[in-house]
Amino acid sequence: MKGRIPFLVLLLLLATCFSLATVIQPLAQGWSKRAGSGSVLKMLLGDSRRLFANHFFVQADVSFHSGYYPSIFDQAQAPGNSRHMTAKEGDAAEEEHEKQMNFLGPPRDWVERFGRHFIITAHTHLQGGKEREMLPWLRLSAELDPQKIETYTVAAYWLRDMGKVREAEDFLREGLRNNPDSYEILFELGRLYRNSHGDTARARNVWDLALRKWADQDAAGKKPDPLVLAEVAMNLARLEEKEGNLARAINRLEIAQKASPNPEVLQKQIDGLKNKPVAAPSER
Amino acid sequence: MNAVIAIAGVVITELYRRKDFYVLFVLTAVITLLTGAVNFFNDPQIVRYLKEIALLLIWISGLVIAIGTTARQIPAERENRTIFPLLAKPVARGQVILGKFLGCWLACGLALIVFYLFFGLVSGSREHHWPLVNYFQTLWLQWMMLGVVIGLVLLGSVVFAAPSSNATIVLVIVVGILLLGSHLNQVALQQPEPVRSIVYAIYFLVPHLEWYDVRDFIIYDSPLPGWADFGLATLYAGVYAALLLFATWLVFRRKPLNL
Amino acid sequence: MQTILETRNLRVEYPAQAKGQGRKAAVKDLNLRVSAGEVFGFLGPNGAGKTTTMNVLLGFVNATSGSAFLFGVDVREPIARQRIGYLPELTYYYKFLTAEELLRFYARIFGIPRAEADRRIDRLLKLVELEPVRKRPIRTYSKGMQQRAGLAQALINNPDLLILDEPTSGLDPLGRMKVREIIQRLKGEGKTVFFSSHELGEVETVCDRVAIINQGELKVEGRVADLVAEHQANLEQIFLKIIGYSPEGPT
Repeated sequence: MKGRIPFLVLLLLLATCFSLATVIQPLAQGWSKRAGSGSVLKMLLGDSRRLFANHFFVQADVSFHSGYYPSIFDQAQAPGNSRHMTAKEGDAAEEEHEKQMNFLGPPRDWVERFGRHFIITAHTHLQGGKEREMLPWLRLSAELDPQKIETYTVAAYWLRDMGKVREAEDFLREGLRNNPDSYEILFELGRLYRNSHGDTARARNVWDLALRKWADQDAAGKKPDPLVLAEVAMNLARLEEKEGNLARAINRLEIAQKASPNPEVLQKQIDGLKNKPVAAPSER
Repeated sequence: MNAVIAIAGVVITELYRRKDFYVLFVLTAVITLLTGAVNFFNDPQIVRYLKEIALLLIWISGLVIAIGTTARQIPAERENRTIFPLLAKPVARGQVILGKFLGCWLACGLALIVFYLFFGLVSGSREHHWPLVNYFQTLWLQWMMLGVVIGLVLLGSVVFAAPSSNATIVLVIVVGILLLGSHLNQVALQQPEPVRSIVYAIYFLVPHLEWYDVRDFIIYDSPLPGWADFGLATLYAGVYAALLLFATWLVFRRKPLNL
Repeated sequence: MQTILETRNLRVEYPAQAKGQGRKAAVKDLNLRVSAGEVFGFLGPNGAGKTTTMNVLLGFVNATSGSAFLFGVDVREPIARQRIGYLPELTYYYKFLTAEELLRFYARIFGIPRAEADRRIDRLLKLVELEPVRKRPIRTYSKGMQQRAGLAQALINNPDLLILDEPTSGLDPLGRMKVREIIQRLKGEGKTVFFSSHELGEVETVCDRVAIINQGELKVEGRVADLVAEHQANLEQIFLKIIGYSPEGPT
């Protein structure tokens, strides 16, 4: 009997632990937001996952620049938005970005001069299909912070550019599920429908929805991005014009004009449309 | 020289009989292979993230092996009293330091070769090209940097009593230099005098280990620094390691051995 | 006869342990001279200064004043230890090495060519009876086996002078006998042995000359037979008398 006592004590402790667990487990659900989370990453990292998500998004940008990127100590600030990540050569965003990335300046001393030989010092952007190298970081960023909208739009832009339309659409739809009010994702989705599927009807629907979402957010005082509004409206205007709906096109351009940094250019377009002979609207 | 080589041989034997290196290598290999197995948008040509992660793990492992192995060398000799039969032979304390340095440095070199072979296999199998010269330069510069780190740890091991405190302090210093070393001059310019002069002096005094981190060139397929810069960086690391070893000898030559 | 080991007015002082205390002299003006081919016993109670003297001879500790020489070379020069073998009281070896690797390591330090080192390793492992376990790591050895591995490393360079610090301490009677046999054998080969021990019977058996120190001072030095005849007592009685011990209490 004496020899069995340690085993009996062990059994008793086990039974106690089991009983306590059955009582505490339902209570524990309410103790922490993490415990109830369906995502392993959310459970492990909590809200700090947003920090990691941001890091991976920046890493995608670093990858886009092949390692040439300002540090927090460099005079220039890191690119404030992701516009340059989807800008083509000659775009205003690209020119502004070019100035921003000229952060190195002349070396201050011999240490810095010599050290420059061991870092990448040329400002280049990935091209020729190499843009795919950004995608893993964007995927990780989205995984960690599903509410980071830029991740979806930038990734979808390049996926579309590489001919991976299905993957781009899936990713955007995933983004939309996580951010149902995102006019940015709707805008990108519309571009995909128009440019990749040639489905202007769906593009128009999605962009119209994007305009409504933008207006809702504006009304709610959330300060939505006016540049995206301008882009959505201009794209819609082009679509309407192509289909002969000049009145609607003018209306869209007027919306774009309110948000555009170059309203005078748009005014010329509006004037041009107003002077255009009216044709019968095409079938939608 | 016989004594130096013999002592170095024992250090290398110790490294491959201990489990540290194998654990780090297996960990690196498993993490890299698992990451490599992830499917990103059905695109098997994506490779740079894998190179980035593998090289980061190799850098961390290299530092851990260098610091972990070196930090315990002289304290363990003193604690286990193996230093006594050793110094009872015609071996000077300077030779003990040189032997320990050489052993740790060569051991790190061997470990790096294994790590880079693995890295070459993984990235080469995806990219289908083998920039061997680039791999060699990257490995070499990392190895040179580890030489300075080992010198720093050896100096720490005759100054600080506990290997753990030495390892922690050196790790903080090395990571600090890697992250901030090249920016200290910018920080100095933003400070008022005399802080500016002090920070600037530190900037010129610290070994600029960040030069030896040329991972980006491998990851982004850029041409590596020219051979002249490569040679100068090697010389700089050599001079720094010699300086640290000399300082270690100055401290250790008259140090009581806890008899 | 050639002088192998010599100390001249050797003095070693340690810093004060506490405030107000003076420096502590562990060895006070010690003069010793050991000639070639002698087995010299260095005796004294615990804390007498034996180990400190040995540490100076081996270069572990620097003398405060005076000097020490091995084969006429100042002990501060590493080359002075080229022709000596040292066996510490306890085994302090790299436990992850095998006995064979340990001997090869020390052979390499002495610059012994590979073929010669192989021959010596074989011979020494047989001498200390570790041949069957030569490929086993030292950490798996018993204390006696580790002590014998230590003796083998002390002999790897075929030394002319062996310095043994309590070579039989902690060994069983059989182990002690084996160590004694080896010392006798080395003596037969004309080697000089300088060793400290508490085993006075053992010292009496193997030593030609002894020195007894107490509180850092040399009290007696001479041939064992001469000391026994002079004091009309055995070595143990002489030792106890010198350190001031009597059955009734300290004198």
